[in-house]
Amino acid sequence: MNKTLLNIIAIVLAILFVFPLIWMLLVSLKPDGVNVYSLSDWVNWSDLNIDNYVKVVRDSHILRWTWNSLVIGILTTVISILFSSLAAFAFSKLPFRTRGIFYVIIVSGLLIPTEAILIPLYETALHLKLIDNIWAIILPGLTNPIGILLLKSFMDGVPKDYIEAAQIDGSRNFRLWWSICLPLTRSAMVSVGIFFFILSWNNFLWPYLSITSEENMILSAGLPTFLSNNTMSLNLIMTASAIAAIPTIIVFILLQRHIVQGVSMSGVKG
Amino acid sequence: METKLREGKGSVALRKSEPLRIRTELKAIIYLIPFLVPFAVFYLWPVLRGAWMSLHVWGIQGMEKYVAVANYKKIFANSDFYLYLWHSLYFVLLCAPTVIILGLVLALIINQNIWMRTLIRSVFFLPYVLSVSVISFIWLRLFDAKNGPVNAFLHLIGLPGDINWLTDHRFVWWAITIATDWWTVGFVMVLFLAGLQEIPTDQYEAAKIDGANAWKRFLHITLPGLSKVMKIQIFYQIISSLKLFGQVQIMTGGGPGDTTNTMIRYIYVTGFKKDMFGLASAQSMIFCFIMLLIAVIQFKMTDRKDG
Repeated sequence: MNKTLLNIIAIVLAILFVFPLIWMLLVSLKPDGVNVYSLSDWVNWSDLNIDNYVKVVRDSHILRWTWNSLVIGILTTVISILFSSLAAFAFSKLPFRTRGIFYVIIVSGLLIPTEAILIPLYETALHLKLIDNIWAIILPGLTNPIGILLLKSFMDGVPKDYIEAAQIDGSRNFRLWWSICLPLTRSAMVSVGIFFFILSWNNFLWPYLSITSEENMILSAGLPTFLSNNTMSLNLIMTASAIAAIPTIIVFILLQRHIVQGVSMSGVKG
Repeated sequence: METKLREGKGSVALRKSEPLRIRTELKAIIYLIPFLVPFAVFYLWPVLRGAWMSLHVWGIQGMEKYVAVANYKKIFANSDFYLYLWHSLYFVLLCAPTVIILGLVLALIINQNIWMRTLIRSVFFLPYVLSVSVISFIWLRLFDAKNGPVNAFLHLIGLPGDINWLTDHRFVWWAITIATDWWTVGFVMVLFLAGLQEIPTDQYEAAKIDGANAWKRFLHITLPGLSKVMKIQIFYQIISSLKLFGQVQIMTGGGPGDTTNTMIRYIYVTGFKKDMFGLASAQSMIFCFIMLLIAVIQFKMTDRKDG
């Protein structure tokens, strides 16, 4: 195909893709009630100001939600990675007879999504007095078996000689994991970790159900409350979206190589 | 020779440790425990509990009475169920093919040596890292009938720019599909890109020498080379489309009327708006069954290919 034509198509598509985000930012900076409809609204930057941001931050819990999302994301990711790594180590390096059975049980976790067990999950959380508690989001977040699958395939690549040499030196299993397998799979752990963090940060349905008070919400589940709040105009809703989106966009720009790698690695397996 | 010897030694070691089997087992299982505890409580138990709850009348206060399969009978006798199931399938039919084709096209473009390749790839991927509430908010306003840029754009290029995207039953599914495609296509693209890089370039060279044109090369080398990724993607997209909830909950609330009510929203409304946990559990079990069915088909299909 003609090279120039291909370049033009790519650029036009890229502009179309980025348009909604630029529009969101522009509207979020326009005074309340001012629309961005015609071309003249686009080029008129004289009325841009950050009043909407001040207002949203002052009148809602949005900063609190961002903080909650961050704390929950980090806790879920770190705990998940450690637990997955331990299990992956057992499956990859320890000879035991019931390995097959346990592997099947754990991999079965890929079959049924949270959406299909919402009601009993809610009932379980209710019994454990977890409703409206951040652990109601974190604990079910630790059940994703994809981390075990991925980390196992990387640990399978750790040479047997290393393990055997350490065993001869008298290392116990825990040391084999901590000082050989863990450091050697560090880059895989970063990729899986980023994937887990994105999942947690963007998790919507379960936090939306299990968190009932406004100050305990996370960002993705808290945003829709702006819709039921009639005092929020079009521009303020875009400001709230922008506040939620900007940290994600910045992190994406900084870590995009790792993010793309992590996502494609997990996607190929899943 | 040497490897054989080592293998022999290994099996001897295994046989020797047989009397201590339970200890060996426990020493390994202890590494699974940290994962297994939350997994059992928040996955295995709810699955079983859901099956049990589906046989009862169950309110938010707890169990009321055992009714055997009455909940299931009620669901299958209700036309709403078939309607919402159809809506979910309809969304699969709209979203899965469009997102896969668009993702493939983007991957093929990015795979060429175009200007600002990395930047453009990032732009295509960027929406994927946003949360469903952010993308739903953005498209809710973009599709606004009066002041939305989508209609403004249609007006600009001479089309009737007065479509009620989110309140007209003929357009609402397209609106949700467009929003979802924009959100997730970057993910599809990245996977196809990884697949494209695994196709050896010498195949293209050979085909070029044989005089195959670009379309033929795409049909006979690129597509077969992507078949594994394609299969994974098709099933992944079917499943994630069936799970549709956030976009309709925020953008349309299931409306206009009932047009965009899906399986998951049906479960959500029955369970959390009407407090009928038993009935909602039965609906969830049917949804589980559909998910398992898809998994079995996927397994069978990938199995046949490997064998």
